[in-house]
Amino acid sequence: MTSWPSWPRPGKRVCEMSGLINLINKLSDLALPPLGQDIMAYLAFAVYVALIVGGGLTAVLARNLVRAMVGLVITFLGVAGMYLLLASPFLAFMQLLIYVGAISILILFAILLVKNTSSGEEAYRPGLPQAGLALVAAAGVAAIFGPVIALNEDLAAPPELPVETPLAELGQDLLNFYVVPFELISIVLLVAMAGGVLLAWDKRYRGKE
Amino acid sequence: MIISPLTLFMLAALALMVIGLVGLISRRTLVGMLISVEMLLNGAGLSVVAAAKLTPASDAVGQLATLFIMGLAAAEATLVLAMMVVVYRRFDTVATEALATIKDAQS
Repeated sequence: MTSWPSWPRPGKRVCEMSGLINLINKLSDLALPPLGQDIMAYLAFAVYVALIVGGGLTAVLARNLVRAMVGLVITFLGVAGMYLLLASPFLAFMQLLIYVGAISILILFAILLVKNTSSGEEAYRPGLPQAGLALVAAAGVAAIFGPVIALNEDLAAPPELPVETPLAELGQDLLNFYVVPFELISIVLLVAMAGGVLLAWDKRYRGKE
Repeated sequence: MIISPLTLFMLAALALMVIGLVGLISRRTLVGMLISVEMLLNGAGLSVVAAAKLTPASDAVGQLATLFIMGLAAAEATLVLAMMVVVYRRFDTVATEALATIKDAQS
């Protein structure tokens, strides 16, 4: 039997918050031998990659912007699944909450507010020079980074099995060593919200005068 | 030959980046470009988490970095939405062709 590189599984250090995940781990331990678990993990990875690539191509190539947004949501779901495979369920939850819940709704508002659905500017295909340049740029990036990733021996080394970091540890770090970035990001969010409201309300006042 | 999981995750992140780049250049309106930028940011977060989880590097730092990326993405989407509203009121379109002039499109 050829040796599969053992796929990262959520370790035994599961925090108390995620009893359900713990239960699923135990059940899967009971149900499948390690090789079967590895095969299941590769299958799940393939499904998530299919979600990401399919959703991404829809988001980029769809002529209708609402459809593009739906493709983007599918991509977000695929990335959330990848976070689950990486034994970080909190990040997967945040991905669903922030990206799928908030940002895609913002993008939907943007699409609807600027009246740019199937009859707008995006209804026509980009010109040949533009599409060609886009493909050249993407192929350039892929040609640079693809071999770097594929040929790197450090990456090919058998990985450490990730253990799930307890949520309390993340919070401790956030309030001890990383307290300045933590506070800064709240300021950035506040300024962005205030600036957004200011920008969007300006003309309305002027129109009433 | 079986590829190691870390390489696979990095290739997935690269795929996100490449697709987002194609969209960023080939889209003609600000909305389409915003969608592509979100995909680029997602690829960055995925690669950071994969590198933190599957190597001896600190795990919490990777997760916190991705949380910060998510916060910045939320702030950026809010601001871009407000800017799009302003641009649309002024130019009646969000196509980037029309924004390449200093004066209003109508005048």
